[in-house]
Amino acid sequence: MSTTHSKLAKKFLENQQYADWHDSTFWGLRMKRDKMARELPEWEQLRNKASEIKRHTLTNIDIYLQKFADAAEKNGVEVHWAKDAEEFNEIVYGILKDNNAKKMVKSKSMLTEECDMNPYLEARGIEVVETDLGERILQLAHQRPSHIVVPATHLTHDDVGELFEKELHTKKGEHDPTYLTYEARLSLRDEFLTADAGMTGANFGIAETGDIVVCTNEGNADMSTSIPDLQIAAIGLEKIVPDYECLSVFLRLLARSATGQPSTTYTSHFRKARPGAKKMHIVIVDNGRSKWLADDDHWETLKCIRCGVCMNSCPVYRWSGGYSYSFFIPGPLGINLGMLHDPKKHSGNVSACTLCLGCQGVCPVKINLGEQIYKWRQTLDGLGVANPQKKMMCKGMDYVFNNPSVYNFATSSAHILNHLPSFIVNNGLNPWAYAHKMMKFPKKPFHNEEES
Amino acid sequence: MSTSNDIIGACRNNIKKRLPRPCLSDIDATVYTDPVEEFIVQATAAGCQVVRGKSKKDLDSIISEYYPDAKVIASAIPEVKSATVNPNDVKKPQDLNGTDVGVIEGKFGVAENGAIWFPQEVKERAIDFISENIVATVPESEIVSNMHQAYPKITFNDFGYGVFIAGPSKTADIAQVLVMGAQAARSMTIVLV
Repeated sequence: MSTTHSKLAKKFLENQQYADWHDSTFWGLRMKRDKMARELPEWEQLRNKASEIKRHTLTNIDIYLQKFADAAEKNGVEVHWAKDAEEFNEIVYGILKDNNAKKMVKSKSMLTEECDMNPYLEARGIEVVETDLGERILQLAHQRPSHIVVPATHLTHDDVGELFEKELHTKKGEHDPTYLTYEARLSLRDEFLTADAGMTGANFGIAETGDIVVCTNEGNADMSTSIPDLQIAAIGLEKIVPDYECLSVFLRLLARSATGQPSTTYTSHFRKARPGAKKMHIVIVDNGRSKWLADDDHWETLKCIRCGVCMNSCPVYRWSGGYSYSFFIPGPLGINLGMLHDPKKHSGNVSACTLCLGCQGVCPVKINLGEQIYKWRQTLDGLGVANPQKKMMCKGMDYVFNNPSVYNFATSSAHILNHLPSFIVNNGLNPWAYAHKMMKFPKKPFHNEEES
Repeated sequence: MSTSNDIIGACRNNIKKRLPRPCLSDIDATVYTDPVEEFIVQATAAGCQVVRGKSKKDLDSIISEYYPDAKVIASAIPEVKSATVNPNDVKKPQDLNGTDVGVIEGKFGVAENGAIWFPQEVKERAIDFISENIVATVPESEIVSNMHQAYPKITFNDFGYGVFIAGPSKTADIAQVLVMGAQAARSMTIVLV
């Protein structure tokens, strides 16, 4: 029995040349991160501090949320609270409607993806324009992100070139990334100038000052908020940090981990509306997060700062692509978040892990991503989705390992299988012979080697 | 609709054990013997041109040397005599579109990443992003080593906005090829004053 992930991964691997390119592209990002980490002797200390700050903040998040909201309100910002995706979408639509806003430019926000905000607003007559280049490409292609930091990297420049020929009327056959980026710039410039509202997500919310801090390389969050009259920021409640002293730790880790840059190009601090502009709005979203705080095994997933390094590091992600996962966030982070959101729906992803633990070895806030995936696997039987074939094998192994005489007989006679005709062992009924030949059993079992 | 009490209360009920805030003053952060030199290295790596040994009085000649074709120059810096538009005087931010060079003033720089702190000081902060090219001043005496040293120096005024900028706008969203000039400035020239 294959999982949903392994079926889609098999499809991904049909084009080996593309799979090779995908693997080396994301491994390249990981290597850039490694170079950055090696240049800072204090790197591991920073990771420890970042983890400790998040553990402290999350276990006092009630206090910090209140502080953040008070500070933001004192700055003249209207703060809204959404318990789930539906409330979030209703609130955003309400703000736009009250301000008679018809067109909204927005920067990348995984929270708005999580809440399926764009289709909700579009169904109510709001034009939503994604302004991060990767997100814009996906919007024009009607696709969802395949990665949280570089969302359209699964597409080649030819894919984008052909898309732009159709959607932006670029020159036929001209697929140079510099040219395509420039054409997208010109088209988005018009959108910025004519939008009624601008929306950003938030990398951090600062409890002490009420700031929304947004990190981008393109400057699109600032273009989205320095031109239109109305500004809305969406923030998941776990993104609050106490103050600037804590923020400086995260900012040293975030871009280095994500793309191997010492910082993003723009680190913007939004505290209040521009002079003459309409009131600024912040929407704080729960959508399951408060409940996860009580989960002893999984609450630390909330520490995530969305750098994406766990995806770049994951051999399964690199060799199966973002679309092999059923949750909109892929890789080790997405496996865990999907299970927190809806374990029945996303249990097909937990097999997409070799338990190499490479992800948690590089996570800048030290989330035990791989260990958590192992723990999720132990719950599959309770969800009624455990693989029956593997369950039967486990029962068999349980019997063999608990009976030394049976075990010794099995290991000392296994080599007889080597002499069976190939079609008996190398067939579809034997999962150990899938994608490679069945192993050869040694004449003498390993634990008897000492004796000779 | 939910209220702050609903959500904050839900959090409070689900917190198992409150953990203490870690000490951050013992972070053994890298400090550069010559922060200015490291700043120049990092700003250059981030895509900037860096001009040293000049003053604000030289801005006009720097603009004409680095951007000889510039026609629309936006600035609120009094020394920039060649400015054709002032971001304090425009009616709306859209009026700054088409700016060839925006000249802006940074407060301090950070050596470890080549970033400069710009608190909003003009009516339309769009100048920082909408301009095709940016010329930015920063005092050479105000370069710190790292972000831990940077945050205590941050200043905010009534505009309630500030940004660290490290180089021109960039993207690698198409096939991971680095391109300067995504949605904001396409080049940045830093003048150490």
